[in-house]
Amino acid sequence: MSLPAVDVLIVGAGAYGLSSAWWMAKRQSGARILVVDEGEFASGASGRNGAGFRMQWGLELNIRLCQESLRFFETAVDQLDYPQGLELKQDGYLVLAHSDKAFATLDSVLPTQHRLGVPSELLDADECVRMVPGLGRNRLVGGSFCGKDGSISPFRLLDALLRACRRDPNVEVRYRTRVERLEKSNGSFQVSLTGGPVEAKRVLLCTDWAVPQLLAPLGAEVPVVSLPKEAIVTVPRAQMVKPILVSLEHHISVNQVDRGSIVFVVARPREGTSIESTPDFLAYAAPKITDLLPPMADVPILRTWGGVSSVTPDMQPILGETEVEGLYVAVSSFRGLMTSPAVGRMMADLVIDNDTNDPILAQLGPRRFKTGELIVEPLLNQA
Amino acid sequence: MQRSIVVVGAGPAGLAAATEAATRGAHVTLLDEAARPGGQIYRQAHSALGDSEYAEAGERARKHDILARFQSVASRVDYRPDANVYALFGNGELHVAYGAGSEVLRPDAIVLATGVREMAIPFPGWTTPGVMFAGGAQAVLKSQRVLPGKRAVIAGCGPLPIVVAAQLLRAGGDVAALASLRPLREMLGNPRALWQGRQIFYEGLRYLRTIRRAGVAQLSAHVPIRAIGTERLEAVVLARVDAGGHVVPGAEREIACDLLAVNYGFAANSELAAMAGAELRFDADRGGWLPASDEFGRTSISGLFVAGDVAAVRGALVAEAEGQIVGAAAAVPPKSIGDATMTAALRTALGRRQRHQAFQTAVRTTLRVPRGLWNLTTDDTVVCRCENVKLRDIRSALDAGHSSLNAVKRNVRSGMGWCGGRTCLRAVAALSELHAGIAPPVIMTPRPMVRPITFGAVVAQKKAVDA
Repeated sequence: MSLPAVDVLIVGAGAYGLSSAWWMAKRQSGARILVVDEGEFASGASGRNGAGFRMQWGLELNIRLCQESLRFFETAVDQLDYPQGLELKQDGYLVLAHSDKAFATLDSVLPTQHRLGVPSELLDADECVRMVPGLGRNRLVGGSFCGKDGSISPFRLLDALLRACRRDPNVEVRYRTRVERLEKSNGSFQVSLTGGPVEAKRVLLCTDWAVPQLLAPLGAEVPVVSLPKEAIVTVPRAQMVKPILVSLEHHISVNQVDRGSIVFVVARPREGTSIESTPDFLAYAAPKITDLLPPMADVPILRTWGGVSSVTPDMQPILGETEVEGLYVAVSSFRGLMTSPAVGRMMADLVIDNDTNDPILAQLGPRRFKTGELIVEPLLNQA
Repeated sequence: MQRSIVVVGAGPAGLAAATEAATRGAHVTLLDEAARPGGQIYRQAHSALGDSEYAEAGERARKHDILARFQSVASRVDYRPDANVYALFGNGELHVAYGAGSEVLRPDAIVLATGVREMAIPFPGWTTPGVMFAGGAQAVLKSQRVLPGKRAVIAGCGPLPIVVAAQLLRAGGDVAALASLRPLREMLGNPRALWQGRQIFYEGLRYLRTIRRAGVAQLSAHVPIRAIGTERLEAVVLARVDAGGHVVPGAEREIACDLLAVNYGFAANSELAAMAGAELRFDADRGGWLPASDEFGRTSISGLFVAGDVAAVRGALVAEAEGQIVGAAAAVPPKSIGDATMTAALRTALGRRQRHQAFQTAVRTTLRVPRGLWNLTTDDTVVCRCENVKLRDIRSALDAGHSSLNAVKRNVRSGMGWCGGRTCLRAVAALSELHAGIAPPVIMTPRPMVRPITFGAVVAQKKAVDA
């Protein structure tokens, strides 16, 4: 008896999984695509992040990934036929340096950004405070600003992708569907799923830190681990922070959304895969937040939440075919939402069209870790 | 070593639990969000306003007695009013804010006696100023001695609308109509239970006498289907409903009023227990999502107890008896005393709880909301007030295949606002069931904070106190 068969099985219905499915369907190759997710809508990292995107990076490949993605965000309402809107906000992104070393790093990457057409500029401390009057002066040296950067609603983007996928007769998206077992024989994959098995010609894993456990039985591996984070949202306030902020030293990003709420994502070294709010988180985060933005002391916290993103050894995405033929991975390394349009397009190139010519893909393949040379993004991990 | 107990909530269950635990030698901290003890039912006005004469003598006596008993141990209880218990974690940490400061407590046992809130069934115009929960209207009367309206229509199910109508009349208010979802004779079906609850039943009859003597129009099987007015409530349209809760066409009447007080039962304040990870159960008639608990109030989390209406809505008399039982159970180290020994020691309180519970069981059907009533919520009706979410938005998300409360929330923001879903969550669940067949309902993931506190109050936090 033959199993129900699909051409591509995508595991994970987050930003990478849904974007890949949408771009694959857009190729109109007739390929049947099944997306499965063990959680529910937006329940993973794509629905739990700070919603920001920026082109201000130091490596060309990161800048290009985000430039292509931003071009998509700017036209996504039409491309995805989503008149409700995606809450796209382009009030700029201010990357703050609280040490001379961090400021020097911001300065050093400016030529690359400008060569690629990113309209970024360096600001001194006074200019930063003029832009965000609530900023604390403590240790503030300056920042880098790009007015085209901003944020997009993760929920709206995921819902737009989901609805667009579901309108395509060749795509099926199933939530609460877990991959119990993944095997390969006779050139195709036999997959045990909640609700019954399927056979897939190709499999794309978009489950970030959960990728290794799916690969292990097939003898393949990619180096990625979980990175739990927690976030805070305040009650709505009149505008206090116009651009998105990120402080390289505080490890905090700040996004005041249109309805006035201010969202803080605070990174803290922690292991595990729990999305629970931890008891000591607020006591850890609040002094950092009031140091960065002293007027926040009087702002009521509405809620906290947690999420689990992923991190790879060089903090770059891992995109490509594994040592198992027909088995692909797209691992985000904590920037899944902001790079998802470009990555979805690349995965369609690769999985549907077998096109391996993209120069970025060539740099981000899973085999790069075998050489021992890591490409390092300078605008990360400045602490 | 002295055992430390934190009781959350100073209504009948919390007061009784604190009193009992202190009597048994425990170190008790009693946290309450209000300025004075008593909770909703025994709410005290500012002392300058004197005691209320609107409640029945029996209820006033019960209020006096429970507060007096608490007073007798008050010197041994660390009572903290105006406390905002904003989070409870599975490790037993209770996070509390007091205005500009905050504190982390880690006692040996926690008794949650957080009671209930009223459950809303959204209908067109329900957000018009002048439309209130019946208990909310009563709270204004109790705490401030102010009539919340000049001419009132009272509506809903269960006993609260009757009590509120009578108390408004006694306070000099004008009640134009009392509309009841169910006929009162339903309560008469179980004579044995009535006998056991005769104290409360007689009080109910006296409230009804007040209403009858005032000539208030009493409409059985009627509900408000529309509130009229833009700036302020001007009138209410009442309609007859059948047993399934469906509006009977052609039986509408408009009544001019500036206050509509509605109660369709209650939703348990179970957020703290849920946040800590306690096992929950769902009982639509008794408060919705309830922490699963045994006869001594023990939840699935060691050291975490629940007492009173938060454990299952059964009224103040059950709450008081249960508070005593749970206070006693929390005051002893776990497993130090066998259940049989405890049962013997608490025989009187257990018996009292059982008697009052029998009456409450007999009348619980009067609090049952028939499914059809949720059809009062139209596509244009706001369901989530904080985020201004209409039924149309929720249905659109459901139609797109979003089939859980969390998925609906992520799409339309219902429950993401100031109140964290306290007002709308039951409605979103019931409406999702009605329109998309989602069942059984799964609670939205509860997160800190139950109520907002400032960053400054967190920065000023005192470290965990092992009491």
